Amino acid sequence: MSGISLAGVKKRYPGGVLAVKGVDIDIESGEFVTLVGPSGCGKTTTLRTIAGFETPTDGSVHIDGNEVTDAPPYERDTGMVFQDFALFPHMTIHENIAYGMEADGDYTTEEIDARVAEMLELVELPGVGDRTPDQLSGGQQQRIALARALAPRPKALLLDEPLASLDKQLREQMQVELRRIQQEIGITTVFVTHNQEEALTMSDRLAVMNDGQFEQVGPPEEVYNDPDSRFVADFLGTANIFDGTVSAVKNGYAMVDCDDVSVQAAVQNGVSTGDNTSVVIRPERFRFDDGAASNAGVASADGGTNTGATTVFEGEITFKRHLGSSVEFHLETDSGRKIVVVRRSGMDKRGPGDRVAVSVAADDCRLVEA
Amino acid sequence: MGSDTDTSADTDTTPATEAAPELAADGGTATGSDTASGDDSGRAGLKARAKWYALSYPLFWLVAIFFVPLCLLFVFSFWVNIPGGQYEFGFTFENYLRFVSVDFTSSWPFIEPGLYLSQMWLTIELALVTAVFSLLLGYPIAYYLARMDRPWLRSLLLITIISSLWVTYVIRAYAWQVILASGGVLSSIGVATGILSEPQSFYPGYWGLVVGMVYVFLPFMVLTLYSSIRNIDGELLEASKNLGAGSAKTFRRVTLPLSKNGITSGMALVFILALGSYVLPRLLGSSAERTLPVLIEQQIMSESNYPFAAAMSIGLIFVVLVFLWALIRVTNVTAGSLGGSEEIATDGGSQQPGSTGTSPLAKVRGGFGSAASVIGLTAVASQIGNAIDSVVTRVDANTRESVIWVTFRAYVAAAMAFIAVPLLIIIAVSFTPEEFLTFPPGGFSMQWYVEFFTNEDWMLALINSFAIAGAAALLSTTIGGGLAFALDRFDYRWSSIYGTFGVLPILVPPVIIGVAFLVFFLELGIAGSRTSIIVAHGIFYAPFPFILISQGLDEIDRTYEEAAMNLGASSLRTLRTITYPLIRANVISGALFAFILSLNEYIIAWLLSLFLVDTIPIEIFQSLRYGYSPTIAAASVVFIALTVVVMTAIDRFSGGIWE
Repeated sequence: MSGISLAGVKKRYPGGVLAVKGVDIDIESGEFVTLVGPSGCGKTTTLRTIAGFETPTDGSVHIDGNEVTDAPPYERDTGMVFQDFALFPHMTIHENIAYGMEADGDYTTEEIDARVAEMLELVELPGVGDRTPDQLSGGQQQRIALARALAPRPKALLLDEPLASLDKQLREQMQVELRRIQQEIGITTVFVTHNQEEALTMSDRLAVMNDGQFEQVGPPEEVYNDPDSRFVADFLGTANIFDGTVSAVKNGYAMVDCDDVSVQAAVQNGVSTGDNTSVVIRPERFRFDDGAASNAGVASADGGTNTGATTVFEGEITFKRHLGSSVEFHLETDSGRKIVVVRRSGMDKRGPGDRVAVSVAADDCRLVEA
Repeated sequence: MGSDTDTSADTDTTPATEAAPELAADGGTATGSDTASGDDSGRAGLKARAKWYALSYPLFWLVAIFFVPLCLLFVFSFWVNIPGGQYEFGFTFENYLRFVSVDFTSSWPFIEPGLYLSQMWLTIELALVTAVFSLLLGYPIAYYLARMDRPWLRSLLLITIISSLWVTYVIRAYAWQVILASGGVLSSIGVATGILSEPQSFYPGYWGLVVGMVYVFLPFMVLTLYSSIRNIDGELLEASKNLGAGSAKTFRRVTLPLSKNGITSGMALVFILALGSYVLPRLLGSSAERTLPVLIEQQIMSESNYPFAAAMSIGLIFVVLVFLWALIRVTNVTAGSLGGSEEIATDGGSQQPGSTGTSPLAKVRGGFGSAASVIGLTAVASQIGNAIDSVVTRVDANTRESVIWVTFRAYVAAAMAFIAVPLLIIIAVSFTPEEFLTFPPGGFSMQWYVEFFTNEDWMLALINSFAIAGAAALLSTTIGGGLAFALDRFDYRWSSIYGTFGVLPILVPPVIIGVAFLVFFLELGIAGSRTSIIVAHGIFYAPFPFILISQGLDEIDRTYEEAAMNLGASSLRTLRTITYPLIRANVISGALFAFILSLNEYIIAWLLSLFLVDTIPIEIFQSLRYGYSPTIAAASVVFIALTVVVMTAIDRFSGGIWE
């Protein structure tokens, strides 16, 4: 098994649009890497550059240590699953799965038949070989597309939003299935999605793309908890983002003045007094401060109080919704700031109209560039 | 934080990115991938100069073999004719002067157009009259077809209309001779019912010719209008009725305005086809109805005055161009979409974007000066419509609706009979036991079929027809398919011009194509051979495969090809195993269309035959000189049957292309 590496890959389309502005990544052998970003961010172009459907304007692509930058798609040994599966409508399932091996020319008919059967077992659809694609459901087509991509034993598996056209339940099931198969075979995989939940749940590493560039590359927990930029914080999951100015830095904590409130946040990178910055707080980092309003007493007129390393916000619940295992509250502070808080489902009786206080520890606040 | 680094990185990359396109271009040439657009390199069939190789084949035929001779015809029209079939290089306006010569008279207006000018005017007039009558007759049929809710009946009627479309003009003109001749159907009925005291011939003559022309070109009008009216959202009509408008008013205020594009393209199509028609004026017109195509053929085949024939051809092209120019000026109809509307069978007729503002028809009317009197007929018709509308408004609504409906149905039935009956009469005549044309046939006999199949001349003609049509269909498909493929796969700077070359042949009157090819092939020394007819037909009918295959390629999901290449299939293998199977129906339909059209073509084949090659249409035409032998009917029926077989094949391959 083998890895993929992109070095300084740029792609300019005829007409001048620079879709990919220079991306670098080394994907380990057997690693599952997700490219995630909003539509038009260049993630699909990047994937198509690996597959060979696009020739990069600049930079190089290596698969398994061999340069393939200008190689045609059919000389790259990648297996791709397309968004709409692209199962050949004029062929049976068997013919679809056998197609890649037949194109290779290195397999005997017996080997091909055996491999097709093996692939159908792998995707848990034995016995559908004689059907045509239109006789299968969306989820089944998806599995067949995966089987077809894997049948010729490619060096890398490329997935272009393959779950986008499935309904929610099927999609979640396929997320697990896809990951199981990938780990079973141990194949290097690049997965493209605009769905941040998919990106977070499936990958070994994810690369958040925006405007043709990687904003951040890292394991899901790291990217989620320590976003490098406002964009990443905002794009992955829900984030409360407060813009402000650093008023003091000491002992690894920065005090950030955000108009109506001062927030203390842990410092990872160098910031200095006077810098404009943004504080990112994930909704589940807040906790309800029962009685805090009376306890702290010294609540500033702004609605936020600094109690040591914890920041407290007071306000009214304007909206509440259940997300199954958790509950989401929308708060509005007296100064009009909106805060999203997520807590585990429980006996919580708080509801719209209630006045509450929430607090967040300085270590749960992250600073990103404004 | 880190903002400094970012900025500097930006500054570093800017020059590099700007240099990128050059890099790509260089790299592209070096590695042999497409230079114009790197992103194409992932598609099937793309390599190096493949872009130009792909285009060179269709362009060789369409430009070198077709367009250049057509232009040479222009040059040629200035050459000097030497009586006796010779001509020499020179530069003279003599041919044109002869064409536009006028006669001076002693009375007002003291000047009269000469023979050729007045025949040119007659040609235009006939084409306009044909177009107008086709519209009047065709609109109700098209409306009925589009709005009826019995699918089987619609299919039946559509198939009837479309089948008649593919039967050679020669056979269809023959059908009208049988109907109009003395002792023919009409005269027999007249005598039998006592209206006529003795058998009488209704042709040759102006009105016999008009009837034949309308009969032949009506299907084009109906199909163009049909797809246009079908595209009108039924809810609009319901909305109109919901707002209190009756059927007549809804039709006048909603349907008619919304189908104006269909009317414009239908009129244009019929006008251009009628203008170039040779067979009908020749077989149904008297010597007074010698239209320009007839005169051109006469100059070639009888007078051997090639330069003058060339000059008249240029005159005819000029009329077509002026007409198209006026049409494009006053409407949104483009030459390309007119080409598409020839292709009505595949629902290409009404694709023009909705033209808004003043009625295109009214503008055409304005643009054609004296032609207005003829087109004015539609204005009259519409006023009659108004009058009827106001009269029937006084009757109670239900009676009114049912009267309109019954009248309408009767009219449609009569119009459909007009389309269907002539070929049925041919079939009836072919089984007659009599030696001569009689109607109704006095019995049943297969003798004329025996005669047909045992006659060496007919059999040779049949074999020739098939050989020529088969080869021409192959050639057409490679030309049209090659062009469609090249234009679909590669980006060319002038792709719309190349595309126009793909539809150009069917916009040029066939008689002119015949003359241009004849002159060219005479120089090459291949005139009078089957090869020459194959090449001419192959190019003339290339637009059909071109349009059909373009459409097929357009509709393919490119991801299939990408998936194949991702699985390791080379460009060629992808084409063979994925692309072709997915457009096979279009390719085969295109080839069959070309086949059937070539099979039925007369004038080009006749001009290029130099009396040396016989095809079925030529043989029928020649036989007609010696009367209406029922063998001709038998030959026609065999030919019609073959046509129906091929049409059915097209329908099966394309899975209901007619809708």
